[in-house]
Amino acid sequence: MLPLTLLNAAQGKPMLVELKNGVTFNGHLVECDNFMNVTLREVYQTSADGERFWKMKEVFIKGNIIKYFRIADAILDSAFEQQEKNRAAAKTRGQSARGGRGGPAQRGARGGPPARGTPSGRGRGTGPPGRARGRGQ
Amino acid sequence: MSAVEAYVDHTVQVILYDGRVIVGKLRGYDPRTNLILSDCVEREYSLEGVEMVPLGLYMIKGDNVAIIGEMDEDKDGSIDYTEIKAEPLGEIRL
Repeated sequence: MLPLTLLNAAQGKPMLVELKNGVTFNGHLVECDNFMNVTLREVYQTSADGERFWKMKEVFIKGNIIKYFRIADAILDSAFEQQEKNRAAAKTRGQSARGGRGGPAQRGARGGPPARGTPSGRGRGTGPPGRARGRGQ
Repeated sequence: MSAVEAYVDHTVQVILYDGRVIVGKLRGYDPRTNLILSDCVEREYSLEGVEMVPLGLYMIKGDNVAIIGEMDEDKDGSIDYTEIKAEPLGEIRL
């Protein structure tokens, strides 16, 4: 599993983040991105020597100063399940897309009235009015 | 980087830039050497013997990883770590 997959699965869950300078943050993960920048809520900050504490509502931590994340054991399992579910969904989506395009229902529809309002691209519905239809006089 | 692939689901020993020694099961990695380690134990070396500190699930950022080594669990199990006395590793300074 990719580390980012695990981090995404940990959203909303409590975790500990230690920075490269030894300072730690305990809180609930609100959001993370591909740089592993994170925002935590209801945070307890601990100094590197472990002697001083601060409590704060929310912090944003830049990913590049983080040493490690300590995450609850159960999240590895839930991340794995989520990953499998997503893979299965992506697979079925791919199959239906392949079956739908170029199928017999669409062939032979040439010459019929143009489909209106379908997001298939190709249509002139969006152009400026009064142009491009009929022969100008 | 793909060399690490062979260690997935095996027990590895990771040494960080701050000198910490962490042993755990490698569950995942990415091209930046960010690691997922489950059932981590930190080995705190000292002149009074080695203390094993259970840590649980860790996701370590690749910037801090100095060494990843595959562990021979049988051999490791045969070592009495309470008898081993050693100074802790120092940190790596760049």
